[in-house]
Amino acid sequence: MNRLTKKLTDLKDKNKKALVAYLVAGDPDIETTLHLMKLFVEAGVDVLEIGVPFTDPIAEGPIIQKAHDRALKQDVSLSSIFKMIKKFRVDDKQTPLVLMGYLNTFLSHKNLIEDNEDSAIDSILVVDIPGELNLADYGIENKNVNTISLISPTTNKDRIKSIAKNSSGFVYYVTLRGVTGASNLNINEVSKNIEEIKKYAFVPTLAGFGIKSPEDAKLLSECSDGVIIGSSLVKMIEENSQSKEFDRISKYITEIKQAIS
Amino acid sequence: MKPNKQSLPDKNGFFGDYGGKFVPETLMYALEQLEETYLNLKDDDDFKKQFYKDLSEFVGRPSPLYFAERLTDYYGTGSIWLKREDLNHTGAHKINNTIGQILLAKHMGKKRIIAETGAGQHGVATATVAARLGLECHIYMGAEDVERQSLNVYRIKLLGAQVHKVDSGSATLKDALNEALRDWVTNVDDTYYIIGSVTGPHPYPMIVRDFNSVVGEELISQSKELFNKMPDAIVACVGGGSNAMGAFYPFINIAGTRLIGVEAGGEGVETGEHAAPLNDGSPGVLHGALSYLMQDDSGQVKSTKSVSAGLDYPGVGPEHSWLKDSGRAEYVAVSDDAALKAFHQVSEFEGIIPALETAHAFAYLDTLMKGFDSNSNIVVNVSGRGDKDINTVAEIDGIKF
Repeated sequence: MNRLTKKLTDLKDKNKKALVAYLVAGDPDIETTLHLMKLFVEAGVDVLEIGVPFTDPIAEGPIIQKAHDRALKQDVSLSSIFKMIKKFRVDDKQTPLVLMGYLNTFLSHKNLIEDNEDSAIDSILVVDIPGELNLADYGIENKNVNTISLISPTTNKDRIKSIAKNSSGFVYYVTLRGVTGASNLNINEVSKNIEEIKKYAFVPTLAGFGIKSPEDAKLLSECSDGVIIGSSLVKMIEENSQSKEFDRISKYITEIKQAIS
Repeated sequence: MKPNKQSLPDKNGFFGDYGGKFVPETLMYALEQLEETYLNLKDDDDFKKQFYKDLSEFVGRPSPLYFAERLTDYYGTGSIWLKREDLNHTGAHKINNTIGQILLAKHMGKKRIIAETGAGQHGVATATVAARLGLECHIYMGAEDVERQSLNVYRIKLLGAQVHKVDSGSATLKDALNEALRDWVTNVDDTYYIIGSVTGPHPYPMIVRDFNSVVGEELISQSKELFNKMPDAIVACVGGGSNAMGAFYPFINIAGTRLIGVEAGGEGVETGEHAAPLNDGSPGVLHGALSYLMQDDSGQVKSTKSVSAGLDYPGVGPEHSWLKDSGRAEYVAVSDDAALKAFHQVSEFEGIIPALETAHAFAYLDTLMKGFDSNSNIVVNVSGRGDKDINTVAEIDGIKF
């Protein structure tokens, strides 16, 4: 079984919520990202979501855009990311890894995803494809790597049904109209839509975008199977990238973890 | 596949292999709504009546097809005709599209208008139609373009719109588009995004093409009237490609007319410093569509270089990619230097100062006219006037005001 599916099933069996944490590969450099991945897991993260930097990340707010720019200055590409993951897998064979990025970078490295040497990654989340489609529709074939579908507050009921039914890994519910890191969360709307998704989805539904505090995470975890945090972590990485002292991040992750337990 | 102008795009928004809807999920609903509205309205008599009335009374259409006597004499191998989109209200073809799209926005009850702009012409054309309807309007423009097109920035502000300077990425048109898309994702419920070229996710390439096709439709009747046959070639500059697409589209099934798009060759296609994806790019996904794109081996979008802000874009409309692959249209590139030379030449020969974008189409006449005889008729689509470029050209010529 795919590591991601197994992890989420285990958590569900134990009636626990999943914590997914995002960071951009190569921000501020590949070595630090590798260090942070391990640190995230030690602090309690269940699934790592690794941002693949792109020149034109249209779904990202300013915090993550800047992280993409910093990574691109280091010439980070999907091939250097796979090399980094190979090193990560030496010590950690359990933590599910999701690559999150934009279609054009994946199309340029079809072979890396199709090979997925030693089952390095478990899933891919493409921000700019319609929810019903997956990578196979774009000619990238790997049965062990699934595509995570997004559903947003503007997805109508018909499409919620067809996307949810076809989803694998988990359904990523985008909690607000906006880019990553925005702050116009409407919990009532979120909870209503996740209820609708759960009618059809065979996989868990996780909530992401706009979670800024342990309080937000707690509220969202009550109506979902888990939460995804991104911008708030990326901001802390930026603020501490000179000193490379990341205790604050461990503490923050622990707080989120407790809030959703 | 035999090109048939009636058949494309298909229901998923593809022109052959190109096009589609590659956007964050939040925008899918907005695109579906837009498509439904447009398909319901496009053949509606009242809608068409309003569109053509506005084009006639507010824009001043039809634009003349004008015989360029001195340029014709200069080349001596065929008649050169100018489709005078530069005479439109606001000074370029861009207004054709905004007149149409603002009617869609009004019909959909949207209260807020956003747009991206490169040279500023689309920003001016959008601010103009928004002012006419009293709608709130926000224009995104790359910081570099704000600098080199300061005149248009001020025009946009005079028209009551807000200009948002975009500093991210390369601070040009592509980054303005990114920022406009982010605004749309955030304010999708009350906001209409008027894309300014035949780019972006379906249905935009179709809608922008259709509204600009008035140019090609007029050309067909004007050609009959003025030289009693169809042109042997139509030449137009291509950035995103809206003026070219508007001129080409009604001619796709008129086999005797060569369709020639001229891209921005910057410092020369061979140097890599240019904005000519159809000449030196490969298929990729940017801003919601699959099309020819300037990208590196890792799928990162390359920075572009062109003296013309309106052509300084790494992508191109998907229908152009299809026209290229199907062989129906030809795409060439000319350098900054050649465009600047043509800018001066057309000004001095014809009393028309063309936009720097348009100057690229003129520059290709040096090569093209060698292949024609004196009975042929060549049309240059004069996409816009050059008033906005005076500062840029003066600076290159070492002149300070």
